[in-house]
Amino acid sequence: MHHANHFYGHAHVLAGYCGLDPEHPPRIDGYVQHGWNVVDGLGAGTPYVSGRPIFVWSEQTRRRAWSMGRRYATVIGAPWLYLLATRPAERGVPRAGTIWYPFHGWEGQHVAGDHQRLIDEILETEDGPVTFCLYWHEFNNNRIRRRYERAGRVVCHGYRGLRWLDTDTRFLHNQLAELRAHRRVASNRLSSAVLYGAAVGCEPAVYGDPMHLDGEVRLTAERIRRQWPELHGRHPDPADATASALSELGADDLASPAELRAVLGWAAA
Amino acid sequence: MNYQLIGGEMADFTDREPVGGELAAYLIGLLRPLGGRILLAGPHAPALIGALTGFAEVTCLVRSQPDAAALADCGATVLCGSLAKLTGAERYDAVVALDGVERLCSVEGPQYDWAESVRALHRVLRPGGALLLAVENELGVHRLVDRATVTFAHTTDAWRPEGEFGAKPGSPARLEARLAAEGLTVGWLGAAWPLPAAPTFAATPAALRDGPSGALSAAAAASVAAAFAGTPVLSDPRRLTAAAIRAGVGAEFAPGWLALAFRGTELGVLVPPVLSGGGPAADLPAGRVLEELLIGACLRHDLPAIRRLLAGWVASEPTAGFDNVLVDGDTYTVLDPARATGEPGGVLRRFAHTLLAGGYAQPWPAAADVPSLTTILLAAAGLAGTVPDADDAPPAPHSLREHEEQVRRLEEQLADAAARVAYVETELIYRDAELRRARLQIDAFAGKVGYRITKLGARAARRAVRAVRRTSPLFKD
Repeated sequence: MHHANHFYGHAHVLAGYCGLDPEHPPRIDGYVQHGWNVVDGLGAGTPYVSGRPIFVWSEQTRRRAWSMGRRYATVIGAPWLYLLATRPAERGVPRAGTIWYPFHGWEGQHVAGDHQRLIDEILETEDGPVTFCLYWHEFNNNRIRRRYERAGRVVCHGYRGLRWLDTDTRFLHNQLAELRAHRRVASNRLSSAVLYGAAVGCEPAVYGDPMHLDGEVRLTAERIRRQWPELHGRHPDPADATASALSELGADDLASPAELRAVLGWAAA
Repeated sequence: MNYQLIGGEMADFTDREPVGGELAAYLIGLLRPLGGRILLAGPHAPALIGALTGFAEVTCLVRSQPDAAALADCGATVLCGSLAKLTGAERYDAVVALDGVERLCSVEGPQYDWAESVRALHRVLRPGGALLLAVENELGVHRLVDRATVTFAHTTDAWRPEGEFGAKPGSPARLEARLAAEGLTVGWLGAAWPLPAAPTFAATPAALRDGPSGALSAAAAASVAAAFAGTPVLSDPRRLTAAAIRAGVGAEFAPGWLALAFRGTELGVLVPPVLSGGGPAADLPAGRVLEELLIGACLRHDLPAIRRLLAGWVASEPTAGFDNVLVDGDTYTVLDPARATGEPGGVLRRFAHTLLAGGYAQPWPAAADVPSLTTILLAAAGLAGTVPDADDAPPAPHSLREHEEQVRRLEEQLADAAARVAYVETELIYRDAELRRARLQIDAFAGKVGYRITKLGARAARRAVRAVRRTSPLFKD
């Protein structure tokens, strides 16, 4: 339905879980939530067509969507968890260090000193090697990438795609391999990546300057800190944090391959 | 003429739908130890009279002369006329008024109210004798869901259509108190479903209060489902019945009450607390009705619970409809094995229909038709196979509330469809533009004739525009 269904190869992961060709996922007659959010599961600016289902990650998101007038939300859980179901962890693979997902508005909103302060705080907090994971457009920006390269290893999971084009369908696979190689996952804002890391055994943490964008409503960020304190801090309790992360990803609501096919409109595919 | 005219008889009138059924016959049969003289006051089905004449000397009292003539050969003494003409000369061991007391007085003479009618029946009882009486509940489920009301007075027997404005007792407790005030001791009182004229399930208020509410509500709702199949109603009487019993007010909202009261204080007959069909109900299992649990889980969008319930049902009782299964922890029990002859796909299809027709919230709101929702339910239950065609199960009651919901849903779907068409058309325009650009590029690289002609045409057009600009006074600088 909407091209966001192909972001990060979500449709491809779901097709693989359903036993269909992961390279050519059938059309999904609705909107798959493509990232963790504190609204109705749709990305900002998604042109929602009323009556089409929104496939959200958790029951909490569904309730929120309903309260916002979205009556067609169905909980399926995060595609990330379906990927995990098809790619069980190998035993005895060593984990080391922290993978850090910096959130920032680079395009002129902040002076460089803010970023250096964040990097300093990260290196002060983390006791092992730090891998910085940048968003694709930051990774392609030499100035930004070099700043982080001075502090540690820098990776990018891939390009999420736009209008069904250039989607890196291995995005989540790359992310899974990186997360499974690290002991901790952290960011300065609670985000999908932190939840994903917690779901695969990383100790999650959210700390550091949240780097608010100019004009951004701070109420949302403050609300997130109030609602999920168990995921915030330099060393939150890993058990509580992981339980909370799994709940946000909808771990209890995952459908069987057959049910997911029926729900996504792939029963005849 | 094999009947006696006692006065006040109605020559060209007949009473419709006399009370009958196995449960009524069973109750009448219990009167046997009281003695051989029994008065049947009011219209009763011939089968009830036949059951009595085997062991008792039966007298029937009816107000309609054609009804009296029809009963003439049934082996009973038939009195035809108004209750007011019944003298106290004869005393009976038991008086049966399972049709209630509303159809005992004819149009002629005094019009007894409820208490006066009971008093008249009381007068012809011997001391220690029993009155078996039915009382219709004006607040019963059957009345609450009725699209019409008795006060509309359309029928020939409705010359005093009092309905809820009458003087009848309105609850089991008041019925017992009123009978006591008349000097009668209530030995047994049961709330009865689904209709006063044809009770098939009855239970005492104590049994309803203390017994397994799941099984009791399921049994009462099943009787209501059979009686109201395909009937136009205001709202679904099955849900109302079950909800009332679960909430502890089942007896108060039952369609009627059956009372066995004795003249004096001695209780001559014992009646089981729960009656079903033609006798005492079998032991009722504990647990909640699967259908109610599933609807509840759907309303809460509790997917794990829905999957767990469906899996339990598939593993134990996949041929039983969801309204015929009780769930107690991990134990699934069929209530009525005779009805458990379905096929799993058909059961799921019926449930999909129930969810959609009832307008219940459920976790897959975009599945707006029965086949789509059944496909998902089949998968959620872990069953392979295709959606079966509709089976010939008894239809649900036709509820006005559900019709309203269907209209609302159709309006919403229509608006959604229009929005979707608009979106698709916008997307089409965008894709068409992409396609045109791609074709031009292909043509350009392929050096095709069409592309050259287009190019030549565009060039000619530009020239023409320039020529016009040069010559036209409109384009003067």
